[in-house]
Amino acid sequence: MSVANTLIQRAPFFGRMFQIQENELNPVNSWPALMAMTSFVWLSIAAILGLSMPAIQLFDLGSHWYYQNITLHGAAMAFPFAFQLMVAMSLHRAGACLGKRADGILVALTYILMNVGALLLTVAVLMGFHVTYTVMFPLPVVGVMTGQWSMSALVLGFTGIAFVLISMILTYPIKILRMSFFEKKQEELQLAERSMKDPGMIGMVMGVLVLLVTGIPLLSIASPILLYLYGIIPAEWIAWAATPVVFEFIFYIFAHNLMEAMAIMIIGAVYATLPLCTADGSRRLYSDKIANLALWILLVTSLTSFFHHFFTMYPALPSTFAYHGNIMSYGTAIGGALTIFTILATIWKHGLVATPAVFLILGGFVMYILDGVTAIVISNVAWNFKLHGTVWAGGHAMSVLIAISMLWMGMLYYHYPLMTNRTIDDSTARKCIKYFFLSFVGLFYTFLAAGASGMPRRNANWEGDWLIYGALLGVFGTILIYSFYLYFASLRNSKALEF
Amino acid sequence: MVDFIYTGWGALVVTLLMQIPFLIIFFSIVNKKAFVDNTPAETPAEKYTSTRYLWIAIVLIAFFVVNFASVKYMPTVVEANTKMANVKDVDISATSWKFDMSERNFQVGDTVRFIAKSEDTMHSFALYHPDGELLFTMMLMPGLETASALVHTFDKPGIYMVRCLEYCGVNHHGMRSVITVAEK
Repeated sequence: MSVANTLIQRAPFFGRMFQIQENELNPVNSWPALMAMTSFVWLSIAAILGLSMPAIQLFDLGSHWYYQNITLHGAAMAFPFAFQLMVAMSLHRAGACLGKRADGILVALTYILMNVGALLLTVAVLMGFHVTYTVMFPLPVVGVMTGQWSMSALVLGFTGIAFVLISMILTYPIKILRMSFFEKKQEELQLAERSMKDPGMIGMVMGVLVLLVTGIPLLSIASPILLYLYGIIPAEWIAWAATPVVFEFIFYIFAHNLMEAMAIMIIGAVYATLPLCTADGSRRLYSDKIANLALWILLVTSLTSFFHHFFTMYPALPSTFAYHGNIMSYGTAIGGALTIFTILATIWKHGLVATPAVFLILGGFVMYILDGVTAIVISNVAWNFKLHGTVWAGGHAMSVLIAISMLWMGMLYYHYPLMTNRTIDDSTARKCIKYFFLSFVGLFYTFLAAGASGMPRRNANWEGDWLIYGALLGVFGTILIYSFYLYFASLRNSKALEF
Repeated sequence: MVDFIYTGWGALVVTLLMQIPFLIIFFSIVNKKAFVDNTPAETPAEKYTSTRYLWIAIVLIAFFVVNFASVKYMPTVVEANTKMANVKDVDISATSWKFDMSERNFQVGDTVRFIAKSEDTMHSFALYHPDGELLFTMMLMPGLETASALVHTFDKPGIYMVRCLEYCGVNHHGMRSVITVAEK
């Protein structure tokens, strides 16, 4: 039995959801199943931490707990949950569509680096390294100098972050590129043939290229800083990399495009899956050309729209970059508008088979578009000065992660019978979708209203009216956790396929 | 009216104006083609094309209007419309977790240019109206030669709260100050 299958079998609670039969499809199924299962372990931790934050504020349990939990929650949601689930599903799609093995050293390294890195960061945070998932450089160093946390917590935290980054920027993208262009095809693994002209495959390749291209500069400046922290190179050698403006700009070029890459990849996955759920069995999008055009517009405009993270530095950020970031951000919405048209035109033209998988996917897509509107609103220079740093911005980041995750979870419903030879519990899945969407809408509009009222994000002192928003976040967060429970139940109660 | 649009609550109204039509159209089509009649539509190809052009035109016009109308509220334009001879410069130094300001007391009608720098880590200088509205926020990145700067004219007396909106460590929530504006 493979290492991945053994780990799945031995996992309590979650193992039952992903038990894989030993067969010739193991090279495509095993590691993606292990990654999906592990991502749900992190989701469970992140969800409880997320719910703890309103509770900490409402019952005044102390800022230490709040900043600890917000750091752990953000890091767990973004990386070992959302990103790892995306890795799992994209590897599975690439393997089954191209007839390539989704295992091997790069896949194992991606899994180990992501999860060990996240564990090291968790330990560092428990040691006091409360920097939030955006790191806020140079806060990690300033925190040591001002006695907020220890140097050993900083070194451990940065080591964990480096592991996670290597898996996201190097091992995973390289594996997908190898599968797409180089590795040998095995006919017995190819279950649904697709070419590299297919919008679904183009979206995947674009996504990993963005990670690779925008991530390497970040690794280039993070590596010397880490080597200095290990005592391998002297301080003067890292002065160029440790300058806050250098680190912050390189970081946001990557972090912004990480989200965009995840979005491009999931839009590609929707383009690949929606035609398989059409009522007329045509297995076609309304137009591949328009779908591909939307992906290219999203790619080109998103690359330089990251300037919107720095509008409020005016005039330190020259106005030309602010206007550029403003225009490019609205350009991404043109790609989004074309995507909306393609999806609705496909449904209109070919009809839709109402399965839980397609509804979870479409629900995630609706969330993604709703969130996209808030993103372009805050990407307008004038509004940015009124909203940046408020819960509006934090809510946008959380909503896009929830939307992307919901899309991948829908995709998992679709892939699940192929992966496990079992079919999900249909009625529980339909119930899950209702609660998922209800909780999203509640959380989303609470975040927006709180942001509009000026409520600061990442702040351990919700005063006055802001506590009402906190209470609402607690209520809708509880419903969201219930929907996650139902999702898990729909997998745990799955039944063997009958042939 | 336009002044309201470019506030936090105005942003929410515009967001809803974009989202609600999308939700209605999306759910109507999905409901019709998944539950009412999921047979393939016999819509002519030209109809799809004209709908596509109309849809993109609506999006482009909406984006143009929203951005064009916002120009007046951009800091460069606000500065250009201000008589700089009457502006009071206030220097602000932000360190964990306090703001040092060269002046904290003003009168209604005073036009002030807030010039802010961070001395240690990322901070921001966010000014709240006495009624709770966030007037503006400035991100302060340490190590920059050019300070962040914005011009603001006080229109109402009262206590204006100043907060840091960029997470800056374990006492981030405690980093705040006040500005007092008196009647003229």
